[in-house]
Amino acid sequence: MIVQRRGWTTRSLKLWLPLGGFMLFTLFPFYWMAITSLKPNSELYNRKIMPLIVYHPTLKHYVDLLTETNFLLWTWNTFLVAVVSTAISLVFGVMLAYPLARMRFAGAALISFAVAATYLVPQPLLFIPLADIINQLGLGDTLTSVILTYPTLLVPFCAWLLMGYFRSVPHELEDAARIDGATRLQTMFKVFLPLCIPGFISAGIFAFTLAQNEFLYALIFLTQTDVRTVPVGAISELVKGDVFYWGQLMAAALLGSVPVAIIYSFFVEHYVAGLTAGAVKQ
Amino acid sequence: MANIVRAASRRDVLTISAATFVGGLFGAARAGAAPQSLTMMHESSFIPPYDAYFKNTLAPAYLKATGIKINYETTSVGSQQTRVTTAAETGNGPDMTQIGFNWAFLFDEKLVDVTDIAQEIGKKGGGWHDAAAEACIVNGKWKAIPFGNIGQLMNYRMDWFSEVGVKDFPDTWDGLLEAGTKLKKAGHPFGFELGHGFGDNHGWLYPLLWSYGAREVEPDGKTVVIDADETARAVDFCRKFFQQTMEQDTLGWTDVSNNKAYLAEQISCTNNAESILYIAKKDFPDIGKVTGQAQNPKGPTGQRFHILNPWSHAIFTHTPDQKAAKDFMVWLMDPKQVGGWYDVAVSYYAPFLHMFDDAPLWHAEPRNLPYRDSLATSHLPGWPAPISRPQSESVAKYVVVDMFAKACAGKSTKEVIADANAQLKQIFRSA
Amino acid sequence: MSASAPTLAAATPRAPRRSTFRQWTEREGVFSWLMVIPPLLFLIALVGYPFVYGIWLSLQDRPVARAGTFVGLANFVADWKDPVFWQVTQNTFVYTIAATLLKMVGGLALALVMNQEFKFKNTIRALMLLPFIVPTVLSTIAWMWILDPAFSIINWLLRYFAIANPGPSWLGNPDLAMLSLIIVNTWRGLPFYAITLLAGLQTISPDLYEAATIDGASAWHRFRWVTLPLLRPVIFIVTMFSVIFTFADFQLVYVLTRGGPANATHLYATYAFDVAMGGGQLGMGASIALAMLPPLALIIFAMSLYMKPNKT
Repeated sequence: MIVQRRGWTTRSLKLWLPLGGFMLFTLFPFYWMAITSLKPNSELYNRKIMPLIVYHPTLKHYVDLLTETNFLLWTWNTFLVAVVSTAISLVFGVMLAYPLARMRFAGAALISFAVAATYLVPQPLLFIPLADIINQLGLGDTLTSVILTYPTLLVPFCAWLLMGYFRSVPHELEDAARIDGATRLQTMFKVFLPLCIPGFISAGIFAFTLAQNEFLYALIFLTQTDVRTVPVGAISELVKGDVFYWGQLMAAALLGSVPVAIIYSFFVEHYVAGLTAGAVKQ
Repeated sequence: MANIVRAASRRDVLTISAATFVGGLFGAARAGAAPQSLTMMHESSFIPPYDAYFKNTLAPAYLKATGIKINYETTSVGSQQTRVTTAAETGNGPDMTQIGFNWAFLFDEKLVDVTDIAQEIGKKGGGWHDAAAEACIVNGKWKAIPFGNIGQLMNYRMDWFSEVGVKDFPDTWDGLLEAGTKLKKAGHPFGFELGHGFGDNHGWLYPLLWSYGAREVEPDGKTVVIDADETARAVDFCRKFFQQTMEQDTLGWTDVSNNKAYLAEQISCTNNAESILYIAKKDFPDIGKVTGQAQNPKGPTGQRFHILNPWSHAIFTHTPDQKAAKDFMVWLMDPKQVGGWYDVAVSYYAPFLHMFDDAPLWHAEPRNLPYRDSLATSHLPGWPAPISRPQSESVAKYVVVDMFAKACAGKSTKEVIADANAQLKQIFRSA
Repeated sequence: MSASAPTLAAATPRAPRRSTFRQWTEREGVFSWLMVIPPLLFLIALVGYPFVYGIWLSLQDRPVARAGTFVGLANFVADWKDPVFWQVTQNTFVYTIAATLLKMVGGLALALVMNQEFKFKNTIRALMLLPFIVPTVLSTIAWMWILDPAFSIINWLLRYFAIANPGPSWLGNPDLAMLSLIIVNTWRGLPFYAITLLAGLQTISPDLYEAATIDGASAWHRFRWVTLPLLRPVIFIVTMFSVIFTFADFQLVYVLTRGGPANATHLYATYAFDVAMGGGQLGMGASIALAMLPPLALIIFAMSLYMKPNKT
C-alpha cells in the first residue's frame, strides 16, 4: 500500500470524516446501551432531560444483573455451546471441504449441490420437526440440544468458507508428502491443515458469532433458567410480563459483547486473511 | 454456592435425559409405583414472590405431607405456548402445566379430563365464576382447573384527568373520547396499543367491539358476522378515538410500550394489567399515588366488556400417574394453600372461586377492586363463539387488531371490514 | 498473503506396509467418501429429515396436539388467497433487497475508507465489528429506545430546534417502521460486509493501481475497472450470506414490532412462527415457511448468474 502524502485537509476528507460518520453510526447504539445501563430508572424514564447524558450514574443494574439473575451461568452456557458447536462444525466442515476442494471423485458435484442447498432451507421450517427429534432423544432442556442443532446452521457455511480457502493452497507440498509415502490422512493432518490456520480462524469466528447469537432454537429448546444462553436468558428473565428491565438488559448486552470484541481484536487480522484467500483465488 | 447447586442440577438433567434416552432404546418399562416427583410448568410470573412462594412454601409443604417432590419449572413470557406445544406434540416433559387463553381446547386431546376434581374444588370454594367455565370446559368436560384471571383495566392519571375537569373516570367510550381530546390538547395524550403485542391490544379492542354490539362470529362458531353496521360504528369510533387522543406511535406498539410511555409520563391513560400500578408504586411513587384503575367504558349497547386472560392448571395425558397429579391439584386448590398463593400476588390474579370474592387480598389495595368486578363481564377473544381452533388462528393473525389499526392509519371503514371479513371467512371455513 | 515460505517438515516417511484395506482407503474416491459420509449423515439427520418432515406437515391440516389429515396443496392454496401472505412476501423482498443494497454500498465505502493507513487501525476494526458480535435481541432492545419518539435523539433534536413535535413515529408509521427495520439490519450487517470487503481489497496488488495510474486512469476509473472486478468474488460470497440471513430474519422483527403495525413489518419467518405456534396450525405454518424457499432460491440463482466469478 502506497501512502500518498497530501495535505491534512485531503486526508481528513478522505479518511477521518467518512470514518467518523461510520463510527458514529456503528457505535452510537453502544453508547446508548452504556448510558442506559448506567442510568437510574427515574432518569431513564424522564423524557424532559437531554437523553445523551447520565446525570446520576449508578452501577445498580450491573449489580442486579450479576446477583439476581443467572447471567454468569448463561454466559458460561453460551460460551460452552458456541465453542463446542463451532468445533463440531469445523471438523465436519473440513471433512466436507477437503475432499470437495482437493480431490476428484464420483458424486462430488452432487454433494456440493446438497451442501449448498442446505444453506437455503429456512430455519422456521425446521424448528417444529427438530423439536420433535430433540424430544424423542430426550434432550429437551439440555445444552446438548442446541450443541447438536447449531451445527446444522454452521456446517454449510464452514464448509463453504473452508472450500474457498483450501482451493487457494498450492498442491506441491501435499504431492511431496504423498511421494514420501504418507497416507492421505497423514498428508491432510500433518501437511495440509497446518497451512490453513487462517481459514479456520475466519470460519471459526463466523461460526462462533452465529452460535452465540442464535435465538430461535434456543428459545424453543431451552426453557429452564440454568440451561439458557445469554440471548434467551436475558429476554426471558429481564422481561417480566410487559415490563422490560431496560438497565439490566443493556448491561447484559454490553457484558455479553465487549469481551468477545476484545478477543476478536487479536484475531481480526487472520480473520481477514482467511476469508478472502479462497474467495479471490477461486 | 448457588452456582454449584445449579451446576449439579444441570448434570442431573443431563443424566436423567441420557437415562430416558437409553431407557427408550431398550424399551424399559416405567416403574408402576407412586411417583417420587411431579413437575409443574409455569410461565414466570410478573410478580416475583409468586414463583418463589410455590418453590419455597408450597412444594416443601407437599413433600412433607406426602413425600412427593414437586418441581416447579418456569418458562419465559411468550414462550409458554411454544413449550406446551412441544410437550404436547412429543408426549414428553412436565406432568402438569399452567395454560392460558383457549389452550384447554387447543391441547384438548393431550389434557386429562379433570371434571371430577373441578366440581369438587368448585363445591368447596363456593362455586366457579362463569368466566372460568368459558375457558376450561371443552365439549362438556373440564380440561383444566381454573386459577385466576390477569385482568386488563383502564389505567389513568387521576391528577391530569381532574385538571381538565374530569373527576370520575368516564363511564362511556364517548365520554372517554371527550376527556381524551381535552387531555391531548393539554399535552397528555392517551396511549392504547394498536400494534402486534401479546395482549394489551386485544385487551381493549375486543371489549370495544363487543360494547358496540359487534362480534367476529355467531355463538355457533361458524357464521362470520364481522361485516355489520355495529362493527362499522366501532371502527369509526376507534379511528376518531385514535386521531383525537393518541399519537401515531401507538400503531407500532408492543406490550412493553404503554408501560414505558406511562411511566415516562408521556400518556395519561392506557389499557393494561396491574403491572403499571405495581411498578409505579415500587419505583415511581409519585406516579403511583396519582394512578387510578377503572373498568372499561360502556358502549352504545349500554354494556361494558373486558378481556378474559385466564390462568389455569392442566394435567398432560402423558403423565405416568394421573391420579397423583389430580391429588396434588386438589391439595393445591384447597383454600389453605391457594389462599396464600393469591395473597403474595397482591390481586394480580383474580381468583375464579366465589369464596374469594371478599377475601382480604382485595382490600390491601382498593384500587384493584375493579379487577374483581370486571370478571363478570370478561370474555375470551372470539366470544360469543365457544373456544375453538379458528379463534386462536384469528388472534395469532391479529385480524381484529389490524382491522382497527388499519382504520386508524387512514384506510376506509368499508375496506378494513372487508379485509377482516375475508380473513375470517378463510379462517373459519373448516369450522 | 503471497509469501508464506514453504519450510514445513514433510510428513515422516514410513516403511511401506501394503495391505489391501489400506490400498482401498487410499483410493481418491474411497477416501473422499469416507470423509464426507459422517457430516452428510449428520446433515441428513438434522436438516434433511426435518426438511422432509416439514414438507409432509405442509401437506396436512395439522392442528397442534392432534392428528393431521392429508389435504394435498390446500394449505398453499389458502396461503395464495391470504392477503397477509402476499404482504409478508412483499415485506420480505423489500426488506432483503433494501438492506442488502445498503450493506453492500455502505460496506464497500467503509472498506475503502479503512483501506488506508491510520492510527489505531486494529482497534477501530475490532470496534467496528461490535454490532455483529452483540446478541441481536439485546442490541435490538437498545434500538427500541433509539426509535422511541420520546427518547430518540433525532426527535429530541427536532424538538430542541422546534422543527417538529413529537417528530416522526419510527415504528408507528408503516413505511418508517420498515425503514427502521432496514436500518437496524444494516447496522448489524454492515461490519461483516466491510471487514470482509476490506480483506478483499488488501489482496489487490498495488502494482495494478500504479499501472492504471500511469495509464492516466482517474480514481473513479481505477475503482471501476480495477477494484470492482477484482472484488467481485468477495462481494458475491458476502452478499449471498447476507441475503440468506436477511431473507429468513426472525429476531429483529420478533423483538421490535412483532410484525406490526398492521403486518407492515411481518416477514415469512415471523408470520410462520405466529401461525404455527400462536395459532396452533402446524401445517399452515410449515407451508408459509416452505413458501420462502423458491423465492430465496430464485434470488440466489439470479445473483449467481449475474455476479458469479468465472470458475477456473
